[in-house]
Amino acid sequence: MNQKELNLILDDVKSFPSMPAAALKLLTLLKDENTSNTQIEQILRYEPGLTANILKLTNSAFFGLPKQIGSIRQAILMIGWKKLIQIVLASCVSAIIDKPVQGYDLSPGDLWRHSIAVSVASETLVKELKLSVSEEVFTAALLHDVGKMVLGRYVKEDIALIDGEELQDVPFEQVERSIFGIDHAEIGANILKRWSFPSSMISAVRWHHDPDGAPQTSHLIDVVHVADVLCLMSGIGVGREGLQYRPSPTACERIGLTEALLEKVASQTLQWANELAASLQTDS
Amino acid sequence: MNHVVGVGDMKTGCREDMIVTHALGSCLGLMVYDPAAQVGGLLHAMLPLSKINLQKASENPYMFVDTGVPELFRQLYDLGGQKSRMVIRAAGCGQPLGNSEMFKIGERNHTILKKLLWKNNILLEAEDVGGVASRTVYFDISTGQVIISSKGVKREL
Repeated sequence: MNQKELNLILDDVKSFPSMPAAALKLLTLLKDENTSNTQIEQILRYEPGLTANILKLTNSAFFGLPKQIGSIRQAILMIGWKKLIQIVLASCVSAIIDKPVQGYDLSPGDLWRHSIAVSVASETLVKELKLSVSEEVFTAALLHDVGKMVLGRYVKEDIALIDGEELQDVPFEQVERSIFGIDHAEIGANILKRWSFPSSMISAVRWHHDPDGAPQTSHLIDVVHVADVLCLMSGIGVGREGLQYRPSPTACERIGLTEALLEKVASQTLQWANELAASLQTDS
Repeated sequence: MNHVVGVGDMKTGCREDMIVTHALGSCLGLMVYDPAAQVGGLLHAMLPLSKINLQKASENPYMFVDTGVPELFRQLYDLGGQKSRMVIRAAGCGQPLGNSEMFKIGERNHTILKKLLWKNNILLEAEDVGGVASRTVYFDISTGQVIISSKGVKREL
């Protein structure tokens, strides 16, 4: 590990793009049960780009609505305000992560498709396992790999070291830590901290490869962890490091996962993820 | 012509076609080729058994090994392929680190493939399966050549 390189990485975190102010405002509303439709409409009134994205997405096959939606008010009525806020966040996130990621060898759109797939798989796991996990799971899952956008170029520079024989059976986030002193999960958590995201979401991103290492384990972390491994296995946004990660049997136990359920969730994820990713991608 | 096969998808080709599939993780990539008829097909199946989601299987048989493999053979027969001449190669079926039974979807995909082939008296010519690698497959129908690419390194199967 080299301190100078670590400092450069941390500098990159500081200069990472910020989240639009409207997204952050909406995020704080997500937790508040008293949020009114008018409040949401007011925030979005001055965001024509976001509004266009929301309408496009709400009208996509993913939601399967019987008729075309033409306004934010209608959209809230049809899909609910919680879902609508998630869509707004997804639309903001897509603009940031819909780019190629070097080092991990992800083509443009790969990380975006992977992130959407992990969000869809996470929500499906919550539903199938009847867990009480907050609405935040969708956005936490969407951002779990945002740290790769920063670490990618350093991974590329040190690829010869990373490809070393003795590191091939070591989980990739540990390989990153041994070389850079930090891994993409911790970098992602730092980015979310700078964006003033809720602490539960920061934890889900921070511990998504090591759910048992969290100071306080949670179903939110466990679900994102399992969904991530499942989507990598399914080849959705899998990078150069392939499946070089270790799923935690204890996390699976905590959420009551079974082999049959894991496969069922995989079979349900693919189509929705493809449709959702495609409907947002045209706008980014 | 170039065909790209997505996850849970299958494409057949003839003569000068090239069939490609990217990012095989635990999924099975199955390449079937009849050199005499110069036809071939590539299946990218995600899960071993269709009983896990029968509705999905009826919409898309290529998502599962047990429904995708027979469908691939059927389509090649329609294109003039004959079972006795078929050359069959497999790739993918990887798995993450650790030894979690639950996440051995790749191994289960491989087992079901073997069972299907064995039941139908078909031999596997070559395979590149298992491990943590993500694989990309290039299947050249004009020659029957299969190239596997992983971490930027290419090799013939």
